[in-house]
Amino acid sequence: MRNDWDDERLLVALGEAIKASEAVPSWFVETGKNAFAWHNIDAELAQLTYDSNEDKREAAVMRSERASIRALTFTSAHLSLELEVTENSLLGQIIPPRAGTLEIHTRTGQISTTEVDEIGCFAVDPIPDSPFRLRCRSADGTDVLTGWITI
Amino acid sequence: MRDDPQVVALVTRASGGDQDAWYELVDRYAPLVYTICIRYRLSNHDIEDVGQNVWLLLVEQLGKLREPAALPGWLATTTARECLRVVTAANKSERLGTGLDDSVLFVDDTAIDEEILMAERNAALRAAFAELPPRCQQLLSMLLSDPPHSYAEIHVELGIPVGSIGPQRARCLDRLRRSSAFAGLGEGEAKIDARGGEPGA
Repeated sequence: MRNDWDDERLLVALGEAIKASEAVPSWFVETGKNAFAWHNIDAELAQLTYDSNEDKREAAVMRSERASIRALTFTSAHLSLELEVTENSLLGQIIPPRAGTLEIHTRTGQISTTEVDEIGCFAVDPIPDSPFRLRCRSADGTDVLTGWITI
Repeated sequence: MRDDPQVVALVTRASGGDQDAWYELVDRYAPLVYTICIRYRLSNHDIEDVGQNVWLLLVEQLGKLREPAALPGWLATTTARECLRVVTAANKSERLGTGLDDSVLFVDDTAIDEEILMAERNAALRAAFAELPPRCQQLLSMLLSDPPHSYAEIHVELGIPVGSIGPQRARCLDRLRRSSAFAGLGEGEAKIDARGGEPGA
């Protein structure tokens, strides 16, 4: 370290270091610690590849108009998840279609599940009001996890 | 960027599934992530959002970081990018077509670099402090409290004769200075020293 620092200097620096740490709210630190729950999840990650909001913002600038449906697409190496958000519902389809179970993970660690039918369709109800991610699992070994979604 | 063996060890352990190592990494670098969010003047809600994204990204990247020692730089860059995403989105939805407020969007790289150096220095100081014997920690904490405790109060609280407080303080600070947690720190320090104090404080 700074071997040339005198005692006063070192004490002030230490005080600053401790203060910088104390200035961080505990909920912020907790959030970071809780993230470890996602370590080593075996699921394949699906990235957001389309969000109609991105188009909508451009469109709104041009026309001051809002589309009523938001569409999102998440894509992994083996499949994609198409999502449609209307005012009251979140509908989705897995392509190519397959039956299975859909898990809805919230940041507080809660998990709820819903069925995916034979043609790959599912409904999430109610729509989570905080960020969530979807994990899709089916009998053929499919295990795909989306990035975080905020509606 | 210095090659901090402690950071490398923590990253390696955390990526192997060691939760305590992860907790230590978060404790160490939460101030860095938080300070950058503050620089972007985010609301608490957005700070929580950015924080969650940054740590989740790190969890997913743990085993893939090419240079674990460069973690502070990775965290700072990722945090700045996430902050910018939040600020840009807010600007777009609230200020349609009116152009972006550049003064809010613009946090330059130099400022981020300084935050990284400061964070490393602070993390090293706190790590070194944690290695001190409890007696030294108590004494230095009392001297650093705001307002600082008087020697008379320290004498009553810790039972150290008033005449010994000065020499003990010097010994404790010397231990701090020689701590292994400090080894190698110093590169790039001159810049911070020249400015004095913490940015934005």
